Amino acid sequence: MIRMVAQRLLVGVFVMWGAASLIFLIVRAAPGDPATVLLGPDADRTQIEQLRESLGLDRSLGAQYVSYLGDVSRLDFGQSHRLGRPAMDAVLDRLPATIDLTLTATAVAVIVGLTLGMLAGGRPGGALDRVVSACTIALQSFPTFWIGIMLVLVFALGLGLLPSSGVGTPQHLVLPALTLAFPFIAIIARLTRTSVAETMREGYVQTARSKGLGERQVLLGHALRNSLIPVVTVVGVQVGALVGGAVIVENVFAWPGLGSLVVDAVANRDYAVVQGVTLLIAGIVVVLNLIADLLIAQLDPRIRTGAV
Amino acid sequence: MTKTREYGRSRLVRLAATATAGAALLAACSTTTGGDDADASGASGDVTAAGTYPIESLDPHGAQGASTGTQLAGQQIFSRLVKPDPDGTLKGDLATAWKPNKAVTAWTFTLRDGVTFSDGSPLDADDVVASFQRMISLNGPNAGNFPVSTMKKTSATQVVLSSPAPDASVPGKLGTFYVIPSGVGKDDSAYFNHPVGSGPFTVDAFTPGESLVLVPNKKYAGNKPAPRRVTVRNIPELSARMTALRTGEVDILWGIPDDQLASLKGEKNLTVRTVPSSAEFTMWFNSSTPALKDAKVRKAIWQAVDFKTIIDKLYPETGRAADAPVTGVVLGHVPQPPVAYDAAAAKSALTDAGFDFSKKLRLQFANAEFRPFIQAVVSDLQKIGVKADPLEKEQATFTEDLIALKWDINFQQLATPSYDAASNLGRLYTCEANRNGYCNKQLDALLASAGATADKQKRTDLYGRASAIIWRDAVGMYPMSVSIAYAWNSDLKGFTPDASGLPDFATVGTGGS
Repeated sequence: MIRMVAQRLLVGVFVMWGAASLIFLIVRAAPGDPATVLLGPDADRTQIEQLRESLGLDRSLGAQYVSYLGDVSRLDFGQSHRLGRPAMDAVLDRLPATIDLTLTATAVAVIVGLTLGMLAGGRPGGALDRVVSACTIALQSFPTFWIGIMLVLVFALGLGLLPSSGVGTPQHLVLPALTLAFPFIAIIARLTRTSVAETMREGYVQTARSKGLGERQVLLGHALRNSLIPVVTVVGVQVGALVGGAVIVENVFAWPGLGSLVVDAVANRDYAVVQGVTLLIAGIVVVLNLIADLLIAQLDPRIRTGAV
Repeated sequence: MTKTREYGRSRLVRLAATATAGAALLAACSTTTGGDDADASGASGDVTAAGTYPIESLDPHGAQGASTGTQLAGQQIFSRLVKPDPDGTLKGDLATAWKPNKAVTAWTFTLRDGVTFSDGSPLDADDVVASFQRMISLNGPNAGNFPVSTMKKTSATQVVLSSPAPDASVPGKLGTFYVIPSGVGKDDSAYFNHPVGSGPFTVDAFTPGESLVLVPNKKYAGNKPAPRRVTVRNIPELSARMTALRTGEVDILWGIPDDQLASLKGEKNLTVRTVPSSAEFTMWFNSSTPALKDAKVRKAIWQAVDFKTIIDKLYPETGRAADAPVTGVVLGHVPQPPVAYDAAAAKSALTDAGFDFSKKLRLQFANAEFRPFIQAVVSDLQKIGVKADPLEKEQATFTEDLIALKWDINFQQLATPSYDAASNLGRLYTCEANRNGYCNKQLDALLASAGATADKQKRTDLYGRASAIIWRDAVGMYPMSVSIAYAWNSDLKGFTPDASGLPDFATVGTGGS
């Protein structure tokens, strides 16, 4: 187990280095630079050159990369010249909002998705299975922004029950979290349904039935644990993707999270913030995958002992 | 053992079901801010506005200093030497008087007595000079207005701003210069989280990119601000801003496009107004492009586009045919003869001038909201055989290409925040600036003369003559003067729509306050 964790951590370090290098190159490959954007269209060439020099952008790409890696290794992501403060301060200011949103969406998605998947997979081909399958396909098909707009129209503008945008109270969280959760519910429900349906056909499940256990006991006591393995893997990966998906939801609901920060940063060529957000998200994904691996190892002893 | 485990799991399932039902109940039964806020704000004196751009920083001297968000915040929190009225007329703020020397190379500003910052400390000439020096040393966009200027204190209530060349537009350009206490460092983020200023409001709470909450500055030298609290929220999506206005979560909104105005006008609780601004649709030709070197060709292309119809269809409320390179609210505006749409005459003139119809013109622009306008222009040009390639660019790429002249026709909504033609015509149309490939020594001389006299009438005459050359030689096409559309909760009293899109909240009264 310790060896597995050490291996995963080592891989994590390489992933972080790869992400850091890739994002460094990608932001600099994009046309337009921070000096031009900072000074705007009114600036003349001399002003732009002066600012480029003070931002260190006149140095060679190699020199910039070496000093960047040195800074990142000390968790220093540099100064956001656009925002006039350290990039990591700006990123950490927005992180709680994104965590609130993604954790709530994940919790709703896991609870609802697992429940629906179990109910549908417990009786494949039944009426409930068909209803759940139809609903999950629909949920996956609707674009996130459309779901968000519909929820606002119904619950904020139509019924006046919930605020349409912003932060401040738990009510503000309901619509953006539901918008973000809906496609995720569909993914988890479909995966759980398939996994449960397959597990219910396994020999050990038949044995449990032959012992006279009811379907509910068979499902919860014997099939669920094994059915969860692929679900945990996907949840680990999808939570990282949720942060990306949050960009659209944050815009629709004026939710001040990392998504809107990074969109503005990319548009304004704010290298420090783009790099900071990307590496933070990469770090979160690495940690979540590690947690998912550990959970899977708990669920499946063969993985823990290295049998598979 | 099995029974215990099963009990545990069924409890888990029940818990999950309860949590889900709870979430649904929360959605169904919660008390909402939507719909009720309008009344609440009216009764309590709270005003909520949704700006068009986020407020990322409160530092008016730094990189964000020229941004709409920081300017909007700055004018509520800090004072300026001079400031524009809602219609663009300059008036004193910290300064009671200002006058140039004979050569217009030095401007003396006399400061108001007895002004204090919100912490009670006095504001004097040292603070003004230190603020100016800080703005210059930070080399942000506002510093570009004063590239070689210096400011000195001549007495406790007097400062002098000097520049090597005559500059009559100094007062107008100082509309974006804000005074903060001396001693604030270059990167003093702690100060700018809760800045001390001498404007009508102080900062109650500030979350960059999210919201700014203002409360009245008890030490403010002017009239006591009417609202108890002002919240400026960032709502990036236009549709979300409109929804928030309708539900009453927001009281004031501006920058509303024409296609949304009709529906807002139908709302009985809202007041909708448009106000002429300093912004103008400006479509420069790149006169260094061989195909566009000839003024006759440029004028013919202008003539080929039916701008009147395009404006009537796309901007019936916020557009008006422009009659000069700067709008009517800008000092130096002198109306020019209209360029009438005549496709046949345009085609004939282009043929006579030997225009190469096979060449595709690169028409660059930067914002998706202008796409329908650009497409309409391209369509009209196509009718007479002129091919134009609409190139929608990201802002960063657009700016870089703009400066490098990598375009044939450039579209911008160009504002003149100083309300003085010097910072538009005087800065962008000289041979030295080379912003559009056009160079005319006679125009340079007129612009230099206009910048060197403080006499308003003389300046207007000189800018009028400069405008006539720009118009005659079709340095660009100038199709439309832009009005800004505002909508606000009708319960609010004393709200004045502002020509620059930076409304003053100090005068906004609410029903019950």
